[in-house]
Amino acid sequence: MAREKKKKENPVLGALKKIGSFFKDFGEAVAKGDIWVKASLLVAGAGYIRRKQVVKGILVTLLEVGLVLYTVLIGFPYLAKFGTLGTVRRGAPVYNPVTMKNEVPDYDNSLLILLFGVISISALVVGILLWMWNVVGSYRVQKLAESGKRLNTFRQDLHEMFNKKFYITLLFLPIAGIVIFNIMPLIVMICVAFTNYDQTHMPPTELFTWTGLANFKNLFSTGGLTSTFGYTFSKILSWTIIWAVSATVTTYFGGILLALMINSKYTKMKKMWRSLFVAAISIPQFVTLLLLRNFFSDIGILNNMLTEIGFTGFLQDVGLITTDYIPFLSDPVWAKVTIIVINIWVGVPYLMLIATGVLMNIPEDIKESARIDGANAFQIFRKITMPYMLFVTGPYLVTQFVQNINNFNVIYLLTQDIYTTMDQKLAASNGKEVDLLVTWLYRLTSEAYNYKMASVIGICVFVICAVFTLVAFNTMIKGDKEESFQ
Amino acid sequence: MKKKLLALLMATSMVATLAACGGDNGGENAGSGETVALTVWAAEEDQELTSALVEKFKAANPDQTFDITIGVQSEATAKDTILVDVEAAADVFAFANDQIQSLVDAGALQPVQDVDTVTKNNVAGSVSAATINNTLYAYPFSADNGYFLYYNSSLLSEEDVQSYDNLLAAAEKLNKKVGHVLNSGWWLGGFYHAAGFHTTRTAEGGTDLNWNGTADYTGVEVTQGILDIVASPAFVAINDGETGNNIASGEFVAFVTGTWDAGTCQAAFGDGYAATKLPTFTVAGKQVQEGTIGGYKMMGVNAYSDNVGWAMELALFLTNEESQVTRFEQRQIGPSNIKAAESDAVKANIAIAAIAMQNQWATLQTAGDNFWAPSKTFGEILAKGNPDGTDLQTLLDTMVKDASAAPQ
Repeated sequence: MAREKKKKENPVLGALKKIGSFFKDFGEAVAKGDIWVKASLLVAGAGYIRRKQVVKGILVTLLEVGLVLYTVLIGFPYLAKFGTLGTVRRGAPVYNPVTMKNEVPDYDNSLLILLFGVISISALVVGILLWMWNVVGSYRVQKLAESGKRLNTFRQDLHEMFNKKFYITLLFLPIAGIVIFNIMPLIVMICVAFTNYDQTHMPPTELFTWTGLANFKNLFSTGGLTSTFGYTFSKILSWTIIWAVSATVTTYFGGILLALMINSKYTKMKKMWRSLFVAAISIPQFVTLLLLRNFFSDIGILNNMLTEIGFTGFLQDVGLITTDYIPFLSDPVWAKVTIIVINIWVGVPYLMLIATGVLMNIPEDIKESARIDGANAFQIFRKITMPYMLFVTGPYLVTQFVQNINNFNVIYLLTQDIYTTMDQKLAASNGKEVDLLVTWLYRLTSEAYNYKMASVIGICVFVICAVFTLVAFNTMIKGDKEESFQ
Repeated sequence: MKKKLLALLMATSMVATLAACGGDNGGENAGSGETVALTVWAAEEDQELTSALVEKFKAANPDQTFDITIGVQSEATAKDTILVDVEAAADVFAFANDQIQSLVDAGALQPVQDVDTVTKNNVAGSVSAATINNTLYAYPFSADNGYFLYYNSSLLSEEDVQSYDNLLAAAEKLNKKVGHVLNSGWWLGGFYHAAGFHTTRTAEGGTDLNWNGTADYTGVEVTQGILDIVASPAFVAINDGETGNNIASGEFVAFVTGTWDAGTCQAAFGDGYAATKLPTFTVAGKQVQEGTIGGYKMMGVNAYSDNVGWAMELALFLTNEESQVTRFEQRQIGPSNIKAAESDAVKANIAIAAIAMQNQWATLQTAGDNFWAPSKTFGEILAKGNPDGTDLQTLLDTMVKDASAAPQ
């Protein structure tokens, strides 16, 4: 085991080495390749066509032409403006009564320039890499031909894609999808954090431009975006973490306890109980949450019932509440507790299902021998069940925590429109006591169009989640724990 | 080696995607011979009405073929949808007048060409609400978007509803409640504007707000006046957006809200259903008439529309006298058209008559985006009766400072 570990390379170093050897290969191909390989520096397919791989050669050349045309015709005009994100503001339109149309001179759209700029730069980088790769490939074909080996025909190439290299064919679509629909928009959104894209700089009417690190300085220096931005950020961050910890821990242990209870040999009609809890999952979460919001509102059913049976009056006498209803979702402390409790109700069934599966997998003989050694039920739970559960569900726990940091649904649906903060400092920054970073972010963008700061906070949330995930995975899954359960 | 094929496929598909993105469908020329495509956004409740009016518009322009689609968009949130992507927004859309400044700032509104027709036919308040920097930007069609008092006339006399002092005393005697939304800058504005204060959006997107100063009265005196109302056990501060549910509960004998709750109030008060101007409230020992925020709904034309000329024709048609009469008949929406508003049917409508009466004490409110959250919180503190006992001047100073800030 120990020896094997030493062999493992640092992944960063490995990647660097790979990149290094790629450039070395390219240099070698250019230096040692014959005239055809050198020609494929200019006409991409030249090397292949020389070796009778005509179809491949033509396809590669067409791709080259396409990329060059794109860069020159579409990419370049945008790239030229990428540095400023546009300089020509859209003037007031002039109405022409004869044509019944507005006449508008050409103008720049910063958002499109940013978007196409990013796409064009990526296309350029990918294009250059493909170009180098193509030269390396042509050289490899030359060497194969020189050593007298048979070269694949195009048909054989295609055939291989469905056999030996089928994984490449399979992975192509998902990877293309991730690049186009996830990575590209993400890069654009990250770029927004370094611009002044907000309500007063909204394309297409107005322009926005690069502002460097100004937004980050605003966020972290006192003063900042609004007079209370720092105060609001720290307050919301601390509630986000408290929420994420309590939401994760409560549903986790709640789910395990529920599963243990249902799995207990004394429980009758196990399947029915399990189905009942799973039924809660089958209703879409937002329906449940919106119904619960009405149920718990100040004039909701629950408050009516509690007033009728005199519970509200009792709480008033005790001094827990001053209102003549229970402010389940309208008082900062009550609301936080209610939200966590509702989340237990919504989240426990999922964990119960997972825990049921894991619990059934614990080898009965370990428990049996523990029982023979005189361990009681709680000791078995603490020393056998929990460590096993924690090991198996560790990664799930980490992702669950990160998901809770970004748990938009529960917080937003339960508090939007019915929770009003009484803290003037929070209100000045559009925040509420019950906001998570992500709901605050949403309202900053959707209600105040503050895209630049939303992007900055988004980056902060990402950093928090990434650091936590790395640390958690490293401490939980590191080591040889695997051995002890096998 | 075959990786090249993958690379090739990947790159080809990417180029194809990019090319598709870049492809700009060239502007079609909509001469009189061609079909003019227009999109109209109207509130969900107005869909049938709008499509009927659109048919009439087509009939009125037989020489031109149209392809008009109608989409659903609440007037209250039109701005939020439009500002996300002005170019994708409808050619003609309905919106509430509080959004006009943001829309003009975003370059979304086409200035009205036929200014005379609009100005001459609609009430002055609605025209000035549609005017920014001396340019008319929209076509008003309703003048009923304010608040006034509904009450149960079988329990309350006309004398009772003249002032909050009488109203609350009578309600206390009846063991019934009086409802008013306080946690919103829009609903609070009526009190402060009545005392001579104003709320005006600045060019930088902030708000010129003087509620902590001195006009006819001081801001603290007005605030104390509101707190005195809140202190009555018969008063219930309603959560913004929950007026309907509350009225339906049947606990109320009087309620401050707008025409949108007319049906609910009628059901709740039965034969006693009545409406009138808002009561007076006590400020520094004197009776002050509570105002309303003048609320108008209007049609706007998208300045980015490909057929901006026909869009303006359509907007003009959808807001003319005949359309406003139809709108009143089918949806009980109070017209801004002067002639339409003078008809007997409109005058006989209890709620619209009340808003017309209240409109004598209506003021305009325009505000930057930072106004709403701080004023909402300020209203919530008042609604709870200032539980921490914070000095009122401090409360006002903080609120005004935060609410007037321009976005950064």
